[in-house]
Amino acid sequence: MTSPLLETRDLTLAYGAFHAVDGVGLCIQPGTIHSVIGPNGAGKTSLFHCLTGERRISGGQILFDGRDITRRPAHGRVALGMARSFQITSLFQNLSVRENLRLAAQGTAGWRALDFWRRLDSHRRHAATADEMLERLALTARAELPAGTLSHGQQRILEVGMAICARPRLLLLDEPTSGMGVDDIPTMTRLIAELGRDHTVLLIEHNMSIVMSISDTITVMNRGQILVEGTPQAVREDARVRTAYLGEAA
Amino acid sequence: MNPKLTTPARGDSRPANAIFRRRPAATTLAMLAVVIALPLVVPSATLACEILIFAMAVLGCNLLLGYTGLLSFGQAIFFGSGAYVAALAMIHWQVGLFTALLLAAAAGGLLALLVGALAIRRTGIYFVMLTLALTQMAYFIAYTLSDWTGGDNGLLDVPRPPVAIGGFTLFDLESPLAFYGLVAVLFVFLYLGARRVIDSAFGSTLLAIRENEARAAAVGYDTRHFKILAFALSGAVTGLAGALYAMLLNFAPLSNIELPMSEQILIMTIIGGTGSLFGSLLGAGTIVILGDLLSALWPRWMLLLGVALIAVVMFMRGGLWGGLESLGRRRAGAARKTQEDA
Amino acid sequence: MLNVYLFQILNGLGLGMIYFLISVGLTLIFGLLNFVNFAHGAFFLLGSYLCYTTVTLTGNFWLSLLLAPLAVGLLAWLLERSLIRRIYHLPHTFQILVTLGIALIIQEVSIMLWGPVGKSVPTPELLRGIVRLGHFAYPQYRLFLIGFAALVAVALWLLLERTRFGALVRAGSESTETVSLLGTNIFRLFSITFALGVALAGLAGVLSAPLRGANPFLGPEILGVAFVVVVIGGMGSFGGALAAGLMVGVVQSLMASLWPQGSSLMIYAAMAVVILLRPYGLFGRA
Repeated sequence: MTSPLLETRDLTLAYGAFHAVDGVGLCIQPGTIHSVIGPNGAGKTSLFHCLTGERRISGGQILFDGRDITRRPAHGRVALGMARSFQITSLFQNLSVRENLRLAAQGTAGWRALDFWRRLDSHRRHAATADEMLERLALTARAELPAGTLSHGQQRILEVGMAICARPRLLLLDEPTSGMGVDDIPTMTRLIAELGRDHTVLLIEHNMSIVMSISDTITVMNRGQILVEGTPQAVREDARVRTAYLGEAA
Repeated sequence: MNPKLTTPARGDSRPANAIFRRRPAATTLAMLAVVIALPLVVPSATLACEILIFAMAVLGCNLLLGYTGLLSFGQAIFFGSGAYVAALAMIHWQVGLFTALLLAAAAGGLLALLVGALAIRRTGIYFVMLTLALTQMAYFIAYTLSDWTGGDNGLLDVPRPPVAIGGFTLFDLESPLAFYGLVAVLFVFLYLGARRVIDSAFGSTLLAIRENEARAAAVGYDTRHFKILAFALSGAVTGLAGALYAMLLNFAPLSNIELPMSEQILIMTIIGGTGSLFGSLLGAGTIVILGDLLSALWPRWMLLLGVALIAVVMFMRGGLWGGLESLGRRRAGAARKTQEDA
Repeated sequence: MLNVYLFQILNGLGLGMIYFLISVGLTLIFGLLNFVNFAHGAFFLLGSYLCYTTVTLTGNFWLSLLLAPLAVGLLAWLLERSLIRRIYHLPHTFQILVTLGIALIIQEVSIMLWGPVGKSVPTPELLRGIVRLGHFAYPQYRLFLIGFAALVAVALWLLLERTRFGALVRAGSESTETVSLLGTNIFRLFSITFALGVALAGLAGVLSAPLRGANPFLGPEILGVAFVVVVIGGMGSFGGALAAGLMVGVVQSLMASLWPQGSSLMIYAAMAVVILLRPYGLFGRA
């Protein structure tokens, strides 16, 4: 058995007496697509925020590649190889699509990004990453447009693309299809499935068909805790999941 | 936490075109033309000096407001302390011109580093309030240390040393035009330097922070470092401007370090055009010239600044530079249309 | 010796009540409208000048106590309807710039109308005497000031706590959506609150006129102090504005004879420390 890439031990996020995340122990194996699902208010997004470093956790531990990152700020986690996308599209609206991707690639440069004297040409690597990503996302034709002028579906794809630009070992995707039209969803599904070949992916998602079709492992959360964990097949057949989640949907 | 306070800036429509359709070579040439023509066009070389000195301070302010999105009321601290440090070093240690200017830039930069490091611990209105409180503190400290600063009377008899190398005088700067020469050379260097900073990896990250700080942090930038460095650079430039201003006046008034000085620099920045280096020159030039022409005729001309400030925020976010740009675009559009018609 | 301190403390309370009246308007507007008003000091100034004019024309201070705040409030109401409401949705930066513009205009127009030199306003005849409390003598006007401002504070508290208007303002400070759901015209509520907050600054200007006169450069100074009070008290907090206003007033008054610049230095340092350590104020809700 390989050691997990990301592990949480007894992770807790409390707002007063309310425990949004309550003693979660999650293990994400390298090279897998691992999805977290659950009914509204199950604590998925709170869990996500704990992992990205957006929220300071109330208890427990987070390990990335065996290293304790519990107290690391969000930007410090990116440097280790964790990148995230946002549930509500969060781009540099007035900057060009290419610049959005280039900035995302440059984000891993650490102190070198503070270089205020040499022209950008001397950091050509990031521009190359951006161009590569434009191809991959099929956005090359729109590279020079402000990101804010893209269609909603393209903005969602750019959102995910920015996370990939950091060449992360772990991609944290927060409801990548949220608000997407039916037409755009297959593109996103394909993109995520492709990503699964090179990256480890943690996916928080509402859309069941995506989760069931591309995940290696699914964790079902309910009321801040892990209810069930297993393969899509096992989860689909689990009675507890049906009552807590699928039953509710039906 | 009050969610209202952390809402990211919405509806911020600063000129996207400035980022996409930059013509740095053309604007740099225009800047050079203005710098050369200025002493011939304006009534006196002293006034021309004043324009470029304030344009430097506006360059510094623009780096924070225009490129990073930080509204700092702290600029007077850097401007005033630059003036005091240069003046005191020249009076008490008899240092030369360039040493005095370097010391002023270092003082401005260091103080800005300190102010920045404190102020960026908060965002939004609390950030603004912190810069405001620190400026007030600096003012009252300068007022109290009247043995050094001259207090309310200002620091008198600030020298204007010649350009000298190893004790050998190259140029005397006593005539306003000669001093303009020095100010102009320094301004051109600072302008080109600012251009480089904005085109660097650092500068591109500042824009990212201005656009969406949460996202900038999420892609891996420690935004605090960038904001503090922006402060330090801004403070160094502003401190240098303050030193030149003291040499121009042969005097360092207490008002250099007062809140209205910050306001004046901010207003010049906004009216000229935030996020445009050439706009810095436009803003400083317009306001210094207006002040000179109108203050004798109509002492209440500052009223116009109030109106202009409101007008820029309501109707012309890009300031004078933005206005010129859209005018240029409209004319280009019209020209294309006539060509097509023909 | 003790009497000197008592004297200074009473003076400080009077000053503090004036600070409270300015700051409570500022904090009310910030709390409900999430709007930063850098023109607040200018409205205070306008109150002082209108008091001067009314007293010069009619010789009646009491009339100015009624008319000047009303006039300032009316101006604020008009400004809100024409300009201010268009910038509620903008980032604070833009609100600051626009209100800074308004402050500049008011200041310059005041100088055009009343001249660059400060005007002094006589103490109303009825209150020119002193009050004797044993060995201790104190000017009547200053005592009146404390009492009157306290009455206004109580009335304001009742307005906020006991009326439907107050309930709406308080609810709106929590979440404006709730108030819209109640079917209230949120824009009218905003206009009234803005006018009320500014009128309070005008009232403070009137009350301070017999003490400090009307001087065009008081505006920025008062604005600075008002921000100190609002920040120390906690933005949006009524009780905080009262406690911090009194505190700043008493500190300034006690230090006025010893080291006046020191008192200003101290209050701004206190403001910076509070923002850094307790951004919601000493008395605000976290």
